Amino acid sequence: MPSKTPHTNGNEPVENGVNGTKDVEMKDDAPTSLKGGKGKKSKDGEEEMTVVVPPSKASKLSSSPGKDQEGDVVMEGEEQTAEDDGAVKVDPVTKAVSDIKNSFPLLERAVTLFDARFTLRALRSISSIRKRLTPDILARVITETYPSTSPAAKSLLVAIDREDATFSKPNTPEMEVDSESKATKSGKKEQKDILPEVDIFLGVLIQIHYLDKKDNNRGAVFSQHLTDRIHSLNRRTLDSLSARVYFYYSLFCEQMQPLPPSPASPVVSLRPALLSALRTAVLRKDVDTQSTVIVLLLRNYLSTSHINQADLLVTHTKFPDNASNNQVARYLYYLGRIRAIQLRYTEAHQHLTAATRKAPSSPCAAGFSQSATKLKLVVELLMGDIPERATFRDASMERALEPYLHLVQAVRVGLLGEFESTIKQHSEAFRRDGTYTLILRLRQNVIKTGIRMMSLSYSRISLRDICIRLKLESEESAEYIVAKAIRDGVIEASLDRERGFMKSKEVGDVYATREPGEAFHERIQACLSLHDESVKAMRFPMNQHRLELKNAQEAREREREMAKEIQDGDLDEDDLGGEFEGM
Amino acid sequence: MSERELHDLVRKLKSAPSYTEASSLLSKTKLTLLKLKALTPQSDTPQSVLLLAREAFENGALLSIRAKDTAAFTRYVHQLTPFYELPADVLPGKDSQRTKVTGLYLLLLLTQGDYAGFHTELEGLEIRGEGEAERDRYLGYPIKLERWLMEGSYDLVWKAMASREVPSEEYGVFSEILTITIRNEIASCSETAYPSLPISSTKNLLFLDSEGAVVQFAQSRGWLIRDGRIYFPNQSLKAGAEAGNEKELSQLAIENTLGYARELETIV
Repeated sequence: MPSKTPHTNGNEPVENGVNGTKDVEMKDDAPTSLKGGKGKKSKDGEEEMTVVVPPSKASKLSSSPGKDQEGDVVMEGEEQTAEDDGAVKVDPVTKAVSDIKNSFPLLERAVTLFDARFTLRALRSISSIRKRLTPDILARVITETYPSTSPAAKSLLVAIDREDATFSKPNTPEMEVDSESKATKSGKKEQKDILPEVDIFLGVLIQIHYLDKKDNNRGAVFSQHLTDRIHSLNRRTLDSLSARVYFYYSLFCEQMQPLPPSPASPVVSLRPALLSALRTAVLRKDVDTQSTVIVLLLRNYLSTSHINQADLLVTHTKFPDNASNNQVARYLYYLGRIRAIQLRYTEAHQHLTAATRKAPSSPCAAGFSQSATKLKLVVELLMGDIPERATFRDASMERALEPYLHLVQAVRVGLLGEFESTIKQHSEAFRRDGTYTLILRLRQNVIKTGIRMMSLSYSRISLRDICIRLKLESEESAEYIVAKAIRDGVIEASLDRERGFMKSKEVGDVYATREPGEAFHERIQACLSLHDESVKAMRFPMNQHRLELKNAQEAREREREMAKEIQDGDLDEDDLGGEFEGM
Repeated sequence: MSERELHDLVRKLKSAPSYTEASSLLSKTKLTLLKLKALTPQSDTPQSVLLLAREAFENGALLSIRAKDTAAFTRYVHQLTPFYELPADVLPGKDSQRTKVTGLYLLLLLTQGDYAGFHTELEGLEIRGEGEAERDRYLGYPIKLERWLMEGSYDLVWKAMASREVPSEEYGVFSEILTITIRNEIASCSETAYPSLPISSTKNLLFLDSEGAVVQFAQSRGWLIRDGRIYFPNQSLKAGAEAGNEKELSQLAIENTLGYARELETIV
């Protein structure tokens, strides 16, 4: 363990010093709390998509480092329920402070073991800490963790307006080791300097604090300095932390005045920074930052509706395969959106279906699921499918999807009048969801459905009647529209121009066509790829297979014995049977 | 090379009588812009130069449309895009022919059949304009045309093009191309929709002037004309093709089943 850390530990103080002064400067030119961006948009639910797994008892984990890691994951569930029960009795401030501190040993382990999973676990605890976060708690954590001379600590304190906080930790070296070991509870004596991971982790917490206070301008400035610092550090163990830093940075910019659709929005000026971050991340093979930044850029472009740029970004970058599930879900959502705008509905539908499936089912990701589902519904309608009724009954969706339910009903029946009144009535909601232009394209689908309904119910109908029923402007329009519907394969019919009617052909047996076969094939494919993916997603602990081999051998022996016994038993039975027969 | 020179050039450009003269003026303007470092807007370009540059490009775009040079027009539109993206306090939106140029660009995409590009452009307008686009005279026209084309109301498209609803003379350039497009669309629809058509009513259907033109058009598409009626030979061809598919279908089914078997083997 120590062999991996020393070289970084050696130059740490210098780095801290350099960046520390920067951070102080930043404070000076930061404007006093300017409230930007009022109210969260519905889409911002995405930001909460982090799967909430309350903090695991870190001290317990670090006290048993030799334990099988798979075991830890399984145990998490039990541990935290026990902890939550206990939490009610403890003072909330102390509890929050200890929660934050519990993440530090995880970060340290991530560094020493070079395993990003520990960092992720620390990040996961953020969502539970978030609700209780106050500057005082942060100040207490900082003062208790850092020695008072640390410039990093000073800059962090300045960022939360607690620069006068007194350091509870004595400054003498011997004592420091002592309190350090107490604070981290892991008793690592060699731990003299604070890891940069801890700095950044606290930085992320401060970012969240700004975000909750809606202090976007200061947050953006602080984030910018944080990204500069990350850039200079180049440590692989920082990857997932830096991804998070960029994520909040972009959120700040999004909520600053003027809001995104305007070309003067700060998101536009953020693009170069994100692009260079992406370049660096790709070169460093930093999967976390890479995936996060790609998603952020897509979101950025789409917010100002630069669809071409977004499309180019998608074609010129490769989204990392092993990105975290949430990022994949977001990426697929944005990709689906781009494809829907480009009229590539089949692709869009695939992406959006995958996005809704990959979205975590916990209530904190409801916003994401809702907007993905909305878009998916519209794309389904555009493809000529009618979404299932069950989608609208889901408790978390019911209210958000209400306008879409009316829309689907209008499209399903093929009533143009009803369709148009629905659009008029809910145009606000549709505009907000960014589906308005897509929905306008549905008009032709409504007409087609109307024609299909009529062709199913009448074997012969005059163009005049079609015109009246669909509320079209003229009989000629009706004729052209029906002709087009026949050409596009919407209906099986023929037209008679002289006498002005449409004659439907006999509807063939669906089971005689290739359609059921195709549907079957599609489902089988889905099942197979699900199986493949779940196999890929499984994690196999090292050397576990030897154990299994041994087990298998034992099992085989047992089986052999059993077979032998059965054989014997068989013989007995036979014998018995023989006796029976004999009787 | 100064701003004044640019100003003169742009003024001359507006009153240029012929396309050839204008195009030589345009290339001079572009050179001047390049020397002023204003071919694409920089953060330190003065507003007056930006205004002139935009005006020059807009004139260039309209001129190239009048000369039916679509490639040049597309280039000008792309050059104009960064100017249009500038916030209003850097470059005020008034006096700009933005909607006209954008509308023409939309129409161009429509005639080229690039619906994806059309909708991509439209999406951007929608977000910025909050529904203003449809009400705008220049933008509303291509949007309406697209909707009618998609649902198949070809007569409405025809009427819109004929009845001087066209917002400006530049839009008229596209009418000819659009007429050909819709005529071909109608023809392909008729091939499948009608068993046969009398020549006399086909004239109205295809918006042709005389029966002679109908016969000519029918021949160019390979339709048969018998006893004053038009028959479509492609229909019978299609029926034949479906029978051939049968064999393909069973082959596909066998392939799929073998695939399942292989996959199952790897799983079990």
